[in-house]
Amino acid sequence: MRFMIIVKADKNSEAGALPDEKILTEMGKFNEELVKAGVMLAAEGLHPSSKGARVKFSEGKQTVTDGPFTEAKELIAGFWLWRVKSKEEAIEWLKRAPFGGGAEVEVRQVFEADDFGAEFTPELREQEERLRAQMEQQKTS
Amino acid sequence: MRFMMLMLPVGYEKAAPGAMPDAGAVSAMMKYNESLQKAGVLLALDGLHPPSMGARVSFSGGRPKVTDGPFTEAKEVLGGYWMIQVKSKEEAVEWASRCPASDNEVIEVRQVQEFSDFPADVKAAAAGFPDLQSGSRRGRSDLVHRHG
Repeated sequence: MRFMIIVKADKNSEAGALPDEKILTEMGKFNEELVKAGVMLAAEGLHPSSKGARVKFSEGKQTVTDGPFTEAKELIAGFWLWRVKSKEEAIEWLKRAPFGGGAEVEVRQVFEADDFGAEFTPELREQEERLRAQMEQQKTS
Repeated sequence: MRFMMLMLPVGYEKAAPGAMPDAGAVSAMMKYNESLQKAGVLLALDGLHPPSMGARVSFSGGRPKVTDGPFTEAKEVLGGYWMIQVKSKEEAVEWASRCPASDNEVIEVRQVQEFSDFPADVKAAAAGFPDLQSGSRRGRSDLVHRHG
């Protein structure tokens, strides 16, 4: 099973403040453990929402709003993608992450093709597998 | 530049465990995914099960506290994402605008941090990070091969 571990933004990340050397070192160690255990699939950080935009879809029209999104409470600062055997294993790993006071992190299971059952027809499945194979080629080329 | 397009589906914070998108919506979205792929901009994409099947861990005072979903106080939650490689934020917004999203849905467009964005001292402290990332991508590639 794959899980997306979503790290919520806070005032510091939204202000564009970068983590200090101590936190980077601790997080580097934690990331290395994840890789060694074969758990880590991806890890990314996002620039503050002030550099982003939102597109809202309403009655067939798109409205673009530039960031920051000060009213949003659920902003994301970064994420990991982990491969583990259960939600419990993901939570066990997460508990060991070197987060200081106040950090909030969300654990969400990623959809796999098999989760969709018969709705995911052989044609759609084939299309999905082709997309993923092509994405891998792009990453490694 | 890499951007994430974060899909915030209406009402997904209230979705029951096991909720699935309907076949029509999936089919339209797959066409859109294919157009991203054909344009050579698509790097990754995933959908997420409802938050009612997830958990949150908060680290108040450094101690982890686990709360199982659903997260009733949440006004919007993530439903899935695309990672794309484009030349500008405008191009990313352009792609987001073409998504066959439902009424009142929102796609948030956010730039991904690259190692080269960091100042020298941060780069030094995070020196092994690009290797970790390429290592994890190899892991992902194994997964796809086994899956296929």
